[in-house]
Amino acid sequence: MVELLAQTGLNAIYAAAYMSLVAVGLVLVFGVLGVINFAHGELFMIGAYVVVAVFADFQMPYVLAAAAALVFVGAVGVLMERAMFAPLRENPLGGLVASIGFLLICQALVSVQFGVRMEHVPPVTQEVIVISEKVRLPVHRLTVILASIALLSSLWIFLRKSKFGWALRASSQDREAASLQGISISRISIIAMFIGGALAGIAGALTAPLISVNPHMGHSVIVAAFIVIIVGGVGSLEGAVVASIAYAFVHTVITTFWDGVIADIVGLALMLAVLIVKPTGLFGTADRA
Amino acid sequence: MFANFIGKSQTRRKFLGSASAFAGLGTLSSALPGRALAQGEPIKIGFLAPLTGPVAGWGKPGLDGIQIWAEWINAAGGINIGGESHMFEFIPYDNEYDPSKARTGATKLIQEDGVKFIMMLGGDTWAGVQPVADRTGMLFSTLLNSDLGPETTTLLAPAESHPVYNVTGVDWLAENHPDLKTAVMCAQEDALGLPSVATYLAAFEAAGIEMLEDPILFDPAATDFAPIVTRMISGNPDIISLDTCYPDYVHPIMEQLFQQGYGGQVISCTLDFYGQIIEKTSVEFLEGLVFQFPDFDDPAMNQDFINFQNPNKFWDVYNERYPGQWGAVSWEYASIMDIWSAAAMEAGSVEPEDVLSTMLATGTGKHAFGDATWWGEDLFGVNHTLLGNWPVVRVEGGKARIKEFRSVPAWYEKHGEILKKHMRAYGQMPDQR
Repeated sequence: MVELLAQTGLNAIYAAAYMSLVAVGLVLVFGVLGVINFAHGELFMIGAYVVVAVFADFQMPYVLAAAAALVFVGAVGVLMERAMFAPLRENPLGGLVASIGFLLICQALVSVQFGVRMEHVPPVTQEVIVISEKVRLPVHRLTVILASIALLSSLWIFLRKSKFGWALRASSQDREAASLQGISISRISIIAMFIGGALAGIAGALTAPLISVNPHMGHSVIVAAFIVIIVGGVGSLEGAVVASIAYAFVHTVITTFWDGVIADIVGLALMLAVLIVKPTGLFGTADRA
Repeated sequence: MFANFIGKSQTRRKFLGSASAFAGLGTLSSALPGRALAQGEPIKIGFLAPLTGPVAGWGKPGLDGIQIWAEWINAAGGINIGGESHMFEFIPYDNEYDPSKARTGATKLIQEDGVKFIMMLGGDTWAGVQPVADRTGMLFSTLLNSDLGPETTTLLAPAESHPVYNVTGVDWLAENHPDLKTAVMCAQEDALGLPSVATYLAAFEAAGIEMLEDPILFDPAATDFAPIVTRMISGNPDIISLDTCYPDYVHPIMEQLFQQGYGGQVISCTLDFYGQIIEKTSVEFLEGLVFQFPDFDDPAMNQDFINFQNPNKFWDVYNERYPGQWGAVSWEYASIMDIWSAAAMEAGSVEPEDVLSTMLATGTGKHAFGDATWWGEDLFGVNHTLLGNWPVVRVEGGKARIKEFRSVPAWYEKHGEILKKHMRAYGQMPDQR
């Protein structure tokens, strides 16, 4: 039983790691732009496909593929901001609808370019850290965990210590006040979309060798990410991380000891309970609710 | 749970079927056009299967295979119907494994394209299509005989008798590896997974293999299989059954089994694109895995009783065009067309009712894996499954090899009651769907 619990814990830490990257990106975009980006799961998917193209097809180093995913998907995020969200800045509902359209376009483009079938991504490494006979941590899963910690720590430092980070946080708290202080909302929106896209892209790139890469893979990720950001508090980066960890542990434990379908139901029930008891989420504030 | 929500007298399939009928029949006012083919007019056949989404692995390879079949037949002048030659034209429609899209597709193929026969994967999508079939009398085929029931009068399972043939793999394993005593199983919770779960449970029970726990059912939207694998291997089972998991699930599950150090026997219905699994694990890890779908370059496919035409050549052409994409369904729709064409030529007609009656007339047919009988009355209430022998395939040295062709009806003769018991327990009998 101890071994089973330990392995479950490792599985949950991995799930929390990549989920945090996705959820933090989604929260950042909502916080600054005020738009629910339904295409965020597709940014995750594009990140995975960059790995398919660069690492699997062109056989270039995986690290290069992951870096390319980060930059490329960040750039896609900027494109979304300029082409869709900026013209619709005063119409958040329009932004939401536009993101749904973008989601479908992304799926169609990837289907046309790569086909509709599951893509094969060769393993980056088959090394496994054997803690005991039944407690094992594949090195690539450890890489995902460490990379997530490093990226989220860097983001935290960036937001707390840099001028752009302060501007981002200020815009997230009150866009009008930030604008009156001379902060360019347009520029800050671009930065937020780049970071949000890059985080989703790198999450897709990191997990691509471990999951089935297909044009529709963003769906399940975005559903979980929405649960996480609602539980954590829409607009709260810390809340997104804490809720990701909580959701990953609850979901993994229930899947392991009971049933995966029940785990999904419990996840949704958790979100419902938070909405009833504390509509702003665990870390949210009333002005963002 | 959903069935409880919509009432005890309704099941999910019935609900979907009724809803689809309500939505679709209004637009389908005219019955099937019964116009005979004009001279030289191509025979249009519908291909209504998932070509995108997670189940595309059991649609697209079949479409690729059927195009090869059509090229060969058309190059030979087509088929002779009533003294005239006719070429084939296949019209695909992507149903995305969605019942409502399948219903729309069936309606479009019949009304707009004028097809004479529609091939489907079946499963969840059949619920959407059945009202259209009932209304028009169109002849459909499925790969899942678990779609069949007394009311499915124009639905046939001529190539794949999923999931009943899965018993042969377990039977072979029990006979050749009597040391394997315990098993666990996982499956996605849907119309492909559940009847297969019931079948594997019956096969394990008949073979005296103990299930360590109830089958682990997961949401088809699952992406991370580590928790499921952790649970499956926690009881040290001798056998892990992957049921009829989609390729998108089999690959990550196998990778997880490898990474979490499982060293026991694995049995699966399919092992599509297994070369990719070897690349993610190892040749040694896959050694001995038992599944049900052969490579057609297997020497055993050249035996006299095999009815599939030129299996080795079909394999070569397929792999030349679609390297690494051979899967469970690559040959199946071509096999169905062999059976349909033979019946159409004999009937001298391509009309659904003529082909159907000719096909079933003798009670026997030429299945790809040997002569077979139209079977299923006892289990599904209708003899619309062409059932005979099915291959047991084992991975040896990184290559799938047929170990034996086993008789499915012979197994059912002995253990049919066990299968019915488990089918009923999982709500898969015709009166429960």
